[in-house]
Amino acid sequence: MATIAELMRVLQFGDSLLPVGAFSFSNGLETAVQLGVVRDVATLRDFVRTAVEQAATSDGVAVLAAFRAAQTSDSEAIDRADHAVFDRKLNEEMRTMTVRMGRKLAEMADRVLGPSVVSEWLVRIRAGTTPGCLPIGQACVFTALGLSEQDAFAVHQYGVAGMMVNASLRLMKIHYLDAQSILFEVNADAEAAYERVVKHTLQDMTAFAPVYDILASLHVRAHVRMFMN
Amino acid sequence: MNDQITPPELQPYLDEPPQLRSGSFGKCAFLRLRFEKREDRSILAVMERRAPLLVQKSLYCDEGMPTLPVVFVITNSGGILQGDRYTIEIASGPGACGHVTTQAATKIHEMDANHATQVQEITLDDGAYLEYLPEAIIPFAHSRFLTRTHIRIAPTATLLYAETLLGGRKYYRDGELFKYDLFSSTVAAERPDGTSLFVEKFRVEPAQSAVTRPGVMNDFDVFGNVLLLTPPAIADAIARTAVSAWKPDEGWAAGVGRLPNQAGLVYKIIGGESSVVRAKIRDFWSLVRPEVTGCKVPPEFPWR
Repeated sequence: MATIAELMRVLQFGDSLLPVGAFSFSNGLETAVQLGVVRDVATLRDFVRTAVEQAATSDGVAVLAAFRAAQTSDSEAIDRADHAVFDRKLNEEMRTMTVRMGRKLAEMADRVLGPSVVSEWLVRIRAGTTPGCLPIGQACVFTALGLSEQDAFAVHQYGVAGMMVNASLRLMKIHYLDAQSILFEVNADAEAAYERVVKHTLQDMTAFAPVYDILASLHVRAHVRMFMN
Repeated sequence: MNDQITPPELQPYLDEPPQLRSGSFGKCAFLRLRFEKREDRSILAVMERRAPLLVQKSLYCDEGMPTLPVVFVITNSGGILQGDRYTIEIASGPGACGHVTTQAATKIHEMDANHATQVQEITLDDGAYLEYLPEAIIPFAHSRFLTRTHIRIAPTATLLYAETLLGGRKYYRDGELFKYDLFSSTVAAERPDGTSLFVEKFRVEPAQSAVTRPGVMNDFDVFGNVLLLTPPAIADAIARTAVSAWKPDEGWAAGVGRLPNQAGLVYKIIGGESSVVRAKIRDFWSLVRPEVTGCKVPPEFPWR
């Protein structure tokens, strides 16, 4: 059982209002709403669930790999996971999102926590030797906070769902209580998702969501947009 | 596959078939093709083969590009069966061009034991141009297939590679869509010095996670994935002209994206029917070839 201090750290660094810029991204939802792929509570729930499921089998695996590397301060293995995430983001806006939020998280943690595995990672990001993807930042921060890999994985999964549900409130007609129900429902899958990927390696990182990928590339070309992806 | 640890998705499918053992004679196809530049045209300089994959000879049948050797890959087994282990190596030497396709769709037959794999190695030297546009893959009910494609490409070379995946035998009996057990595909590309460009891995298990849900395939049945690895100037030109659109009323949607590390473009197409996806791939190909070689893609043969 987590101590109150540990729980407080999870709450702070898992907060959707953490100033890492999540509010400027919709993770593909903006185009999905514009084109009618997402049009009501049911389709929003399915769309968010798809994104969260894909996140577990791709970036989620990198969270675990980076977390385990950070435990032993293995900077090479941390950066390997970082490159693995970046090289698997085939859409430019998705790459922008992950490196922008990753860097912001590192800068914030460097200031708030003082010298740690995160500050070392930030030095390498600034030097351009590693891309600085968000899942790796979360893994490093949670290592620095003395929390578990389950905590890091949970916060990663929560971040994806939270970002999209928050964006949905600004993009479509949806009751804020329905939005919370979706978040609650989708989050209930995280435990099973962790069990599915706990033994996966970086080579096993996988995603299959062609519609999601096509919507992401259409967003790059969109003239009117509120979010950065 | 031999030098790699069995990936987790194959773990449930390691039992030996009651017929020929996995990877035994007749199930271990091999193909090695190498294109090289000669004075006035490129040739198929190396051709090694082991059934059930066959290649006869290269043909100069492309009217838009008469110097281009065209190779049709044939199989004498009628498709991929449980326990099959295929290896395909395709290389284009400095400045050489080549076109590789298959004679018909690749059928991955129903399986009740083991799985099938295909390992592809594609190598392009400086200034090479390779079009690798196989026909669609049709995974039958309960098929388990894993393919790994490793690309090694020089910064001045161009590779156009398309993979088309059907949901299954859509018009067989009452329709057989997304009834396969596993389709796993990894494409990893790097420079000759080993610098990674990108990795894309799909692992589709329709029984584990519904393929028809929003964000995955929605109501579409066919997925075309086109990779264009090319220098940035060509990628910029193609990205400007390639059609990205959401047209469910016309039965398709497509989008072009920029690969990481300035590797080129990815063009994804989803469609209701394979003919639509095929036409979109051809449209994209028709942009690429003139930009890279100055030659046109001719109109499709009426009987293909």
